[in-house]
Amino acid sequence: MPSQTTSTISFSSLVPWLIAALVLCVMPFIFTGGGSITIMNQIGITIVLAMSYNMLLGQGGMLSFGHAVYMGLGGFVAVHVMNIVENQEIWLPLPLLPLVGGLVGLGFATIIGSFSTRKAGTVFAMISLGIGELIAACCIIITVFFGGEEGISGDRTMAPPTFGVEFITQKEVYFLIAFWVLISTFLMYLFTQTPVGKMANAVRDNPERAEFVGYSMRWVRYVSFCAAGFFAGIAGALFAINFEILTEQNLNLGASFTVLLATYIGGVGFFLGPIVGAILFTLLQTVIGLQTDLWALYTGVVFILMVMFMPAGLTGLFAMHIIPWQLGRIGMLIKPYSKIFIPGTIFIVGAVCLTELINHVRHHGDEEFMTLFWVEFNTRSIVPWGVFIIFTAVGFWFSRALAVEVKEAWGNATFVEGVRR
Amino acid sequence: MVAEALKLDNVTKSFSGTEIIRGLNLGINENERHAVIGPNGAGKSTAYNLITGRYEVTSGKIFLKGQDITNLQPYEVKRKGLSRSFQITNIFPKMSVFENVRCSLLWAMDYKYSFWHLVGKQKALNESAEKIIEDLNLKERRDTLAGVLSYAEQRALEIGITIAGGSEVILLDEPTAGMSVSETEYIVGLIRKVTEGKTLVVVEHDMGVVFDLADRISVLVYGEIIATGTPIEVKENKAVQEAYLGAALEEEH
Repeated sequence: MPSQTTSTISFSSLVPWLIAALVLCVMPFIFTGGGSITIMNQIGITIVLAMSYNMLLGQGGMLSFGHAVYMGLGGFVAVHVMNIVENQEIWLPLPLLPLVGGLVGLGFATIIGSFSTRKAGTVFAMISLGIGELIAACCIIITVFFGGEEGISGDRTMAPPTFGVEFITQKEVYFLIAFWVLISTFLMYLFTQTPVGKMANAVRDNPERAEFVGYSMRWVRYVSFCAAGFFAGIAGALFAINFEILTEQNLNLGASFTVLLATYIGGVGFFLGPIVGAILFTLLQTVIGLQTDLWALYTGVVFILMVMFMPAGLTGLFAMHIIPWQLGRIGMLIKPYSKIFIPGTIFIVGAVCLTELINHVRHHGDEEFMTLFWVEFNTRSIVPWGVFIIFTAVGFWFSRALAVEVKEAWGNATFVEGVRR
Repeated sequence: MVAEALKLDNVTKSFSGTEIIRGLNLGINENERHAVIGPNGAGKSTAYNLITGRYEVTSGKIFLKGQDITNLQPYEVKRKGLSRSFQITNIFPKMSVFENVRCSLLWAMDYKYSFWHLVGKQKALNESAEKIIEDLNLKERRDTLAGVLSYAEQRALEIGITIAGGSEVILLDEPTAGMSVSETEYIVGLIRKVTEGKTLVVVEHDMGVVFDLADRISVLVYGEIIATGTPIEVKENKAVQEAYLGAALEEEH
């Protein structure tokens, strides 16, 4: 056996977690609206799912197109367990339900991973796609368990009260979710610091060499895969608790692509990336989703732009600025950034308005007036068309011209003699 | 009789019908430094790939300290105490130098697929990793990503990854390829230091390095060993001079 550890976990390494716990506790008292708590609950669930997805994609180099399967299966079983608890056939307080979901996710990952992790790359991706389709199809066919297209529903409030809490309000559910987000994130962080977590990085970087230092790449991937399934299952049970219903939509390919998108936008190379991605993506989905039918289009455009220009994601964009910050040259960037901000915004507003206008005319042609950014105007008049086209064109032109300046400033701010970047 | 550290018994390898290795017999004694030389395409790297399980042998047997290791997986061969480096640098480019070395130690230090140890808290593991980095002269580069090291530093790290974990038999594949004179000196010194008390097999084109380092030399030409012996014996061997060494030594001068 390896030698024993020498020191216990130091207090300073716990500080970020204590801050995170504090933030989670304070949040529902800052954003008090029922709507915002609902959104925060959704964000929490997406964080756990995206983090578990990043155990595959970011940490282990496995591109999965079917990660929602493990969340969905965990969620379905959780709803069934909720109903069994309601019939008082077993006794289980609601806060422990995510553990059930986690074990279900782990169980399925153990089975499916046993053959899907044999190869990485395209083979793994294709198998995950196939499994995703298969389970989604089963969902519609096996109505006894999955409830067909309507899905199955339960009632979380019928579980035995936990210290007098019956989880009737959204706020009570918020604290349950927050607790599990914190625990899961902490455990997933610890996983990255274990031998198998480190070897997951090694296998991602250079699977062949990993074999020559004594590790079977397949087993390393398998362990990561099972762990990712476990945390996805936890997310599924949290979903079941929050929404009290699960349908095929929660585990189909669409759901899997959603988590891929969220994780990627946040940044797969960073531990915090999926958290950033989950927050941003859920906000896009809920806040912007309320404003426009086209939110999926905007998400798609953002995704493509990220893949093309910022493969390290939003977190990567922040991390990039550590170098000029350390060199004390962050000030050099403020001016060019603020200069490009104005035409950039004009371009985005123009392009968005134009898109919305076309969509309006196409789908609500009978309504003469529409409102964009709190301004009502007549779609039949040439004025809004002209204004939006000019905004888009002028914004684009100036942004492009100023991009040169930004690039130059960036070069100056990060230049160090003799260091390649 | 003491079992040889590494023994190849009539090993052959064919790729789609063409025999690349034709009956390779090679015995490496314990604690010796053995060099394998030969012209390009003679099958030196292929032989390494057969020994370490990267390729399957077509026929024949390979023994490590008397144990049959024929056609084991690379990780199984490593676990049995044989470790190799690569001709083309083969490191973990997106991990720091320290992480590279530490990962190479994990299995040997019995952590296996553990997800219940925190690597940062393992005193012996971290001390061993630091020690190796010190031996490699890479202390200042400890936290640099391996992918951005200079070529010579990457070659040093390559050797570090190979020797980490204390394998008893070390196979090095052209450790000084593409290096300047001073870099070669640094690497040769390093090899001497870190393979002390181990069995070393080295494939190398630089004859200066070979004659400097090796106790015995084997000459591999077209998939067969045509001679094995001390440096002097090999140098004076007629067949070797004709097939390879004459040309190689002339090139040196």
